[in-house]
Amino acid sequence: MSRITLTDVSRAYGQVKVLHDINLDIQDGELIVFVGPSGCGKSTLLRLIAGLDRPTGGTITINGQDVTRVAAADRGLAMVFQSYALYPHMSVRQNLAFGLENARMPKPEIEQRIAEAARMLEIEPYLDRRPGQLSGGQRQRVAIGRAIVRNPTAFLLDEPLSNLDAELRISTRAELAALHERLSATMIYVTHDQIEAMTLADRIVVLRAGRIEQVGTPLDLYNKPANLFVAGFIGAPRMNFLPVAVFPGGRGATIGIRPQHLRRATDGEPTLKAKVTLIEQLGSETVVHGDADGHRLLAVLPGQQGLKTGEEVALAYGQENLHVFDENGLRTD
Amino acid sequence: MTVSSPRRVLSGTGAILMAPVALVARLLDPPLSALQRVGGTNGMAAFFLLPNMAVFGIFVLLPLVINIIYSMTGGTALFLADRTFVGAAQYQRLFDCRSYVDPKSCTEDLFWTAVWNTAGFVVVQVVFMVVVALVTALVLNRDLRARSFWRAVFFFPVLLSPVVVGLIWRWILQRQGLLNFGLYELGLTPVNWLVERNWAFAAAVGVSIWAHVGFYALILLAGLQAIPKDLYEAAEMDGTRPARVFWRITLPLLAPNLLVVLVLVLIRAVQIFDEVYVLTGGGPGTATLYLTQYIYEVGFASFLRNPGLASAASILMGAVLIVLTLFQLGIARRNEMRGKR
Amino acid sequence: MKTKTLLVALAVGLMSSTAAIAGDVRVMWYSDGVEGEVIKDLLDRFMKENPGINVILDDVGYKVVQEQLPVELEAGRGPDIARVTNLKTLADHWLDLTPHIADPAYWQANFGDQFDWMRPDGSKIIPGFMTQLTLTGGFANKTLFEQAGVEIPGADATWDEWVEAAGKVQESQQLNAAIAVDRSGHRISAPIVSYGGNYIGPDRMPAPIDEGVKTFARKLVEWTETGRMNKETWVSAAGTTYRAGIDDFINAQVAYYYSGSWQTAALSGKIGGAFDWVATGSPCGTEACSGLPGGAALVGIKYTQNPEEVGKVMDYLAREDVVREFTERTLFLPAHKGVAAGALDFKTDDTNVKGALDVFVKATGQVHPNANALPAWKWATPIYGVLVTRISQVMAGELSIDDAFARIDEDIKAQVEAAK
Repeated sequence: MSRITLTDVSRAYGQVKVLHDINLDIQDGELIVFVGPSGCGKSTLLRLIAGLDRPTGGTITINGQDVTRVAAADRGLAMVFQSYALYPHMSVRQNLAFGLENARMPKPEIEQRIAEAARMLEIEPYLDRRPGQLSGGQRQRVAIGRAIVRNPTAFLLDEPLSNLDAELRISTRAELAALHERLSATMIYVTHDQIEAMTLADRIVVLRAGRIEQVGTPLDLYNKPANLFVAGFIGAPRMNFLPVAVFPGGRGATIGIRPQHLRRATDGEPTLKAKVTLIEQLGSETVVHGDADGHRLLAVLPGQQGLKTGEEVALAYGQENLHVFDENGLRTD
Repeated sequence: MTVSSPRRVLSGTGAILMAPVALVARLLDPPLSALQRVGGTNGMAAFFLLPNMAVFGIFVLLPLVINIIYSMTGGTALFLADRTFVGAAQYQRLFDCRSYVDPKSCTEDLFWTAVWNTAGFVVVQVVFMVVVALVTALVLNRDLRARSFWRAVFFFPVLLSPVVVGLIWRWILQRQGLLNFGLYELGLTPVNWLVERNWAFAAAVGVSIWAHVGFYALILLAGLQAIPKDLYEAAEMDGTRPARVFWRITLPLLAPNLLVVLVLVLIRAVQIFDEVYVLTGGGPGTATLYLTQYIYEVGFASFLRNPGLASAASILMGAVLIVLTLFQLGIARRNEMRGKR
Repeated sequence: MKTKTLLVALAVGLMSSTAAIAGDVRVMWYSDGVEGEVIKDLLDRFMKENPGINVILDDVGYKVVQEQLPVELEAGRGPDIARVTNLKTLADHWLDLTPHIADPAYWQANFGDQFDWMRPDGSKIIPGFMTQLTLTGGFANKTLFEQAGVEIPGADATWDEWVEAAGKVQESQQLNAAIAVDRSGHRISAPIVSYGGNYIGPDRMPAPIDEGVKTFARKLVEWTETGRMNKETWVSAAGTTYRAGIDDFINAQVAYYYSGSWQTAALSGKIGGAFDWVATGSPCGTEACSGLPGGAALVGIKYTQNPEEVGKVMDYLAREDVVREFTERTLFLPAHKGVAAGALDFKTDDTNVKGALDVFVKATGQVHPNANALPAWKWATPIYGVLVTRISQVMAGELSIDDAFARIDEDIKAQVEAAK
């Protein structure tokens, strides 16, 4: 059992408030992702949950127990740091054993846990090497291993993939997903990359400037973004935003439509007319940059379109794919 | 070597100030270019190293060689030409002992007193200096208020001249000094700090530590700050007690710096002289008589001066220091190799 | 900063070398009391009378003259004139003034008695003149004795009687110690002679130490052990380092201080009216009540570039009226026969001083021949150093007194060997 609840949690440094009234309920066994731009407070929130930092307001409970004032070591959580934080002067085996020795676990049990984690993460050949002798990906697995051997209530991962190259990132992502399946453990994952969020998360928490913008499953966020920010954050390329006065009384509004939901118009459909400014050919699809009445527009069209810059193109869309946001940027339907 | 075009530096006040420099540079250009044509870039390197090598040769190597020659001569004359060659007689005299452990059984009893005194001093001072420097660095590493102020306070004695240090503490510790005055006011019995053997030794150790610990603490502080903070956070998550954090994480990662400090303190301790000479003059009796003072007195301050004996003693001391320096170089090289991996 | 130190070093280096500029005479001087001011005054007047000669006075610490000047002289450099106490040991470096002074006979008549103190054995040169004669002797704090109700011992009191009397004052007045003696082999040589000691062997080489040395050395050690003499002065330094016990006397921490006549001006200046003090001559031993004569001399340096100018300066300073003025203002005992014979009007309001100087003059008649021979003997200074080193070790508890005696003999032998 590992339910983590945050109630009115806030963190301020003097006058500067970094987190405002965070309320969140993390379910047992879910992989929840905190995502947002730099400085949104996601890492701070993670550290508050870990116990490395104390909130200036609010409470944190784990399985019903208030742990707001409890030391990090006693919360039963394990953290995987962005820089891995492996002890450079100890071997991998000693790194894994360190935390367990602190708990005065008997040697045989320590050995067993290390062996199991090593097998799971395929780091058996490296157990006697030093972190300095490992590659980035291997180090990352050791960092995860160090968390696994502790059998924690929940795993906290702070941007674990950001130090890896693109290809390794994709494979490691899959491994993390598999690991989550296997361990059925609660994982709180922090990242700035919305693709990682979309692919890994059971639920996503979108943060901006210390506030939660929206919490929901990936598809929820994709299909029904609650505001302009979330709509523009989730999905790549970014959703197109066009200002339109649609409400009676002439209040301003913004219409959003994803580039993937635009297609070449056939006759008789409502269209958007745009002048092509740039064409990016990816082979399987074409990204068309256009200018519609002074507004920038992107469309992702399937295949190779044979368009040329400067051409006028008519783009069609389905009504169901429109997102409407009022003058405050909030969703209206 | 060509001088950068003066055009680049010409702008406003900068131009006025740089003008004479630019002029000199322009004047130097032809002869130096000519020199480079003749000697090549390697030749130029030699040309610029030559003055420093000359200074080093004249003021370090030459006196070293002359000193070795002196140690093989006898007589009281100061000039080498007026001295008589005696081979290894001075060394024989220094080593003439029934038992090396008992200075009183030696011909040059003061030399062996100084040797054993210095050995005792070195052992005690090295241990305490390293420990105090480490503790100081650990304390200064914390997020104290006015941290820079405290760092300056601890480093300040390093800037003082050793004579000043010795005098200040003599005024504090002498029979009618500040410390006894304070004790007297508090109703406690004053102690003659500089005249009791063990207290004088403690004073010598303490004063020299006070005067230099800031420097070594700074080196260790730099080492401490190089340890990534997230290692400590990981240890916190791992539930590590502070003592274990120190022994298993801080200390091993600080080890290279500690080793450097250890060797530096060691080398310095063997040469101890200035502060102690002013503080106790080698007394009480010969309790704080150390090698350097012995050499100074034999070679310069006593009647009749014995430069040959003093040189021999200084060569022996130099031999010990060379061993320690080689040790330090070895460590430095090992650290360098480690860093490259 | 580094350049600055370099320049200073350079300047000092240049200063300490013999003045190569014609007409420049460099004088290295040290002061116990006010002599620095007095000599400067006199030299300023000399320069007015002799405009072509520029006299530069370097008033340095005694330590510089003791330790640095000999090194400079060995290197063939140094000032043109120096005020020195180590006259015999460095005698090879002094200039023969005879061709450069106006009237050698005048010099011989007034200063001749002490020339042997300043020149190598058998030499007949005139190296300079004594700026003062000194005599070792004791000073007693009259006020403390009176307060303690103890009578000041008379002129023929022994060392033991003095220590006993001062001890009574110590107990009564809660003093730190009864007596103080300078940490100096020269100082204790007078009492050693008084107890029958003689350093000079039949062949003018050092003799093994005799009962006189041992007796007084034992007494010194005993006095530190019983607390009569302050251990600190002797024990607080090692080797041959000089330490004076004068501060203890000035601060009325001891009742009796054995030092010498040259301290008179300093005592007068520093004690002022704080208490009354008297000079007491030297206490008696078994053989004599002798002090040790000595003094500082102004000598010409052999390596000077301007011997003629040096001669002129020396002639001026050796003039009877100049010597008289110097003596009266510095409160020293004059070496000039003429001046000593005449009436001296010491320039001081301190009644203690006049009385003290009279006592010293009288005490010159008590000097034992063994003591008188020492200033002219070249092995005297090395022996002083050896005595001080070893006796202080006994006081510090490092050596037994008998070991020290053995060591002293060995050290002296080593010095003789090394000088060969």
